[in-house]
Amino acid sequence: MAKPNLKIDDIQQIIPQASDIELVDDTSGQKLVFSGIISGIKYALKFMKPNPQLTEEGTFSERLDDVTVRAQREVETMGQCETPYLVKIGPISLETEEFDGEPIIYFSEEFIEGENLKQYLQSNGQLSASDLIKLGSQISEAIDSLWQHRKIHRDIKPGNIMRRSSNGDFVLLDMGLVFDFENESISLGPVGTRIYFSPEQMDFANRRQIMDFRSDLFSLGIVMYEMATGEHPFIDPITKNSFDVLRNIANMNPTPPVDIRNDLSNELSDVILRLLAKRPALRFRSIEMFQRDLRIASERMA
Amino acid sequence: MSVLAQCGWGRGGKIERGLNDGVINGVIMSPRDETPDRLENIINQWGQSYPGAIVLFDPQFYVANLNAPRDGHLGEYDYYNNNSGLGRAQFSGTRIRNYVRECLDYQHDTFGNNLTNLVSPSILFDGFRDNWSQIALNLAAESADYHDSGLGKPQPLLISIVVSETAFQAIDAVEEFLDALTELNVAGFYIIVRRNANSPQFAMEPRPFANFLYFCYVLSEINEYKVIVGYSDWQSFLLEAVGASNTACGWYQNLKQFSLDRFRPSLGGQTPRKRYSSAPLLSCPLINPELEDIYSANLLSSVLSGSNHDSLLIGGPLTNEPAWTNEVSCLAHWFSLTSLSHRILAQTGIENKLRVAELIMQDSALVYQQLRNQGINFDTQTDQGHILDWQTAIREFRTITRIYDANEFSK
Repeated sequence: MAKPNLKIDDIQQIIPQASDIELVDDTSGQKLVFSGIISGIKYALKFMKPNPQLTEEGTFSERLDDVTVRAQREVETMGQCETPYLVKIGPISLETEEFDGEPIIYFSEEFIEGENLKQYLQSNGQLSASDLIKLGSQISEAIDSLWQHRKIHRDIKPGNIMRRSSNGDFVLLDMGLVFDFENESISLGPVGTRIYFSPEQMDFANRRQIMDFRSDLFSLGIVMYEMATGEHPFIDPITKNSFDVLRNIANMNPTPPVDIRNDLSNELSDVILRLLAKRPALRFRSIEMFQRDLRIASERMA
Repeated sequence: MSVLAQCGWGRGGKIERGLNDGVINGVIMSPRDETPDRLENIINQWGQSYPGAIVLFDPQFYVANLNAPRDGHLGEYDYYNNNSGLGRAQFSGTRIRNYVRECLDYQHDTFGNNLTNLVSPSILFDGFRDNWSQIALNLAAESADYHDSGLGKPQPLLISIVVSETAFQAIDAVEEFLDALTELNVAGFYIIVRRNANSPQFAMEPRPFANFLYFCYVLSEINEYKVIVGYSDWQSFLLEAVGASNTACGWYQNLKQFSLDRFRPSLGGQTPRKRYSSAPLLSCPLINPELEDIYSANLLSSVLSGSNHDSLLIGGPLTNEPAWTNEVSCLAHWFSLTSLSHRILAQTGIENKLRVAELIMQDSALVYQQLRNQGINFDTQTDQGHILDWQTAIREFRTITRIYDANEFSK
């Protein structure tokens, strides 16, 4: 399935109340992202092309397609979670429309000024220890907020975490792959970004039984490790070969972050390693416990 | 102090004496062996008289799915009687909800704050991947839910896990089960391991024991649950070294090790021979001939635990054997377990606790060696095989958890 082929003028026609429309991101395979001002506030405007299903008779099925269902789930999730560390829904919730003979779906969400952690790492290098603690604390709050609705994100990675330029807060984006334990599954196979998978995320057949918020904690652990050391914990830093990454995620014990970057405390290094434990039972059984240990690490640094 | 009395038939005045002497820190009550009225009186009375003591009620729901069990007074308790003789088909969602409600309501309504914790109903299972283990998990999850929302200001909940020793053979299955258990938002776990009927020793086999230690370690040290292990006998100090907050042991063999024989028709048997609880040996030598032989070799002091009751033996174990009653034997055993427990709990951090546990075993092996050098032999239940098994288990535990002895490397 492809993303819709839309230009700025088209967006202006579809959302006439929006002004100052700009293209933000056309690199995703499924989504086209613009920004625009509505009622004086800048929002991200996301457009997708539904993926209608054909019935056996060759007519379009009335069942909603996976793109629409995912978008619905994304919009619903943004509406449900109240934490400031998850991106918020904007004034346009999910709309469907036919444009130029093609069906499209779109919605708006909070536009976050800043850069994502992938960009940050490239331009600024690693995060300071205090920012690492802030990252862990804020994104874990986002994970907790999702879990209160029995949902997990499944795609936590540097590219999906924004650092606000105004106050340095971290915000988790892109709820498009959220897994909802209370609803039917949409995906037909493992989804997410492989190099940020938890070990249990690879076991697609049993995901409903074996996955919970601790899977997101594992992915957060990879992000924290990368932002602490500049290296992915399961990719060889010399060869940069990501071919074996799934095997390494399942079997390899990463080098303690403190051995790579010696200004980190042992406590913070241990907290990051604990997030990367192979079994969920060896990570943190509550966000509260994780945040408490982060606080202890922070106090030791002080 | 962490040792609890595992209660059963023949309680007498042991509990009060144990609590007064400071050799136990509480009790786990057995409804099979008490009428509901008597149990209610005792628990409520202890709640008042021993406010610092841990008082738990093991619902023994695991007997409900045995065929024609010897269940004593259990039939007089509604939560059990309404539900005895259960097959697998009787564990639908609705029924599980009822079992849980009846069992937790009974404890909450009858004992209130006189119980330290409520204990969930559970069933016995033999493997962490079998169908019964899934039923045990469903009972646990339902108990956690009901405790959260269905009871007004209840005491914190312990989930009971009743599992066969054989289930601990494979670490993979143990880890999967731990992943599921650690999703529960409860105060802790009350764990009973059913021993192999054919096991000659009181010690578990090294591999399953290492995995059992790991199980307790993950629940207590990593996930910060309160872990109470029932029927743990001499293994108590090792369980405490890996994080168990309390262990329990009773006076008869079937209250020291858990077996379903206790709930099956009695085959009769002889009165057990008298034994002495020796903390230095980590076992209970027979008063006649083993302890008498040690006395004759002038080595009695090397095996004494140091309780006041030892004075009965100083003039010769055989001379005073009649005074070594069941109650004295029980109190002396609790004293031994508690003295070991003190040595472990005086340490901070699992590394130090494990090191002290290893020293205890090393010292014990040396005493055995000394006795053997004097030509003293022991029967299979008393010989030092259990120490070697435990030492192997601790080595395996260290490998699994990668908790290595720093001193070992600096030697």
